[in-house]
Amino acid sequence: MRALIVDDSRAMRRIVGRILVDAGFEILEAGDGQEALDVLAAHDGDLPVLACVDWNMPVMDGLTFITEVRKRAAWRAITLMMVTTESEQDRIVRALAAGAHEYLIKPFTGDALVEKLDLLGLTPTTVGDLV
Amino acid sequence: MTTYSAPDQALVHAAIEQVWGSMLFEAADPWPTGVPAEFETGLQAHIEIRGGWNGRLLLTCDSAVATQIAGALLGIGPDEPVDEPDVHDAVGEVLNVVGGSVKGAIGGSMTLGLPGVRASASPRSSEESLVVSWRGNPVHVQIVPDAELAGDS
Repeated sequence: MRALIVDDSRAMRRIVGRILVDAGFEILEAGDGQEALDVLAAHDGDLPVLACVDWNMPVMDGLTFITEVRKRAAWRAITLMMVTTESEQDRIVRALAAGAHEYLIKPFTGDALVEKLDLLGLTPTTVGDLV
Repeated sequence: MTTYSAPDQALVHAAIEQVWGSMLFEAADPWPTGVPAEFETGLQAHIEIRGGWNGRLLLTCDSAVATQIAGALLGIGPDEPVDEPDVHDAVGEVLNVVGGSVKGAIGGSMTLGLPGVRASASPRSSEESLVVSWRGNPVHVQIVPDAELAGDS
C-alpha cells in the first residue's frame, strides 16, 4: 500500500517516510499541495491509501489541498492526515471540517505517528491482506 | 481588544527543549555563562510570526553544527556527508517546528511564515540571545519584534 507525503521540507518528508516505510508503506512525495494533486492524478489507477499533509507550504497549502481532494469522488477513499506545526484548536477544527481524518502536531515521535495509523486502521496488523 | 504577550526566552527555550528531545534526540542545555559563544562562519534560519505579536525568530549556529543538526534530524551517521541543501532545509525545519510551538503558546489568531536560511556569523554580543548547547557548541536563538527590525540598519 502507498502513502503520499506532502511537505515542503525534504527533511520532514524523509522523517515521515522512514516511519511509514517501517510500517509497510511505499512512499510517494510532493513538495506542495499542487504537486500533490498532480501526483494523485498521475496515480489515478493506483492511489495511495494515506496522505500525510503539512499545512504551511508554498504554492498550495495543505488545507487547500485537502479541500481539493475532497471535491473529487474518485479520491474519497484516501485517508488524509494533517502533520503540521499548527497546534491551535481552531486550526484543527478547520482541517477536520475540510475533510482531514486525523491531525498530528509537530514535533512528534515515531510512536505517535504509528498510533495515528493504528487509529485509522492503516498498520499492517489492522490492514491485513492490503499489505 | 485582546493583547498578546511577546514570547520570552523561557517560552522559546521550552519549545527548543521539546524539539531537541523529540526530533534530534539530544538535550538542549543552557550555554554556560562566561564561555565565548561567537563564530564567524555559520547559518541563520529565520521565520516570521504574524498576528497579535509580530516579529521573527532567528536560529544561528556554526556551519559544522548545522551539518550535525541535519545529520541528527535525518538519521545520517556522523561520518556520512550531508548535502548543503539538506542542511539548509533541516535547520529551517527545526526552526519551523520551534516557531510553531511558540506561536501556539502565544495563542490567538497567529500565522507562521515559511522558514528561510542564509549565511551568517554569530549574533553581536550586545544583542540579547538565548544560547543553548548542541554537543558542546553554541546555538543562538533570538526573538526579534518588528519594532527592533524597523530600527535595525
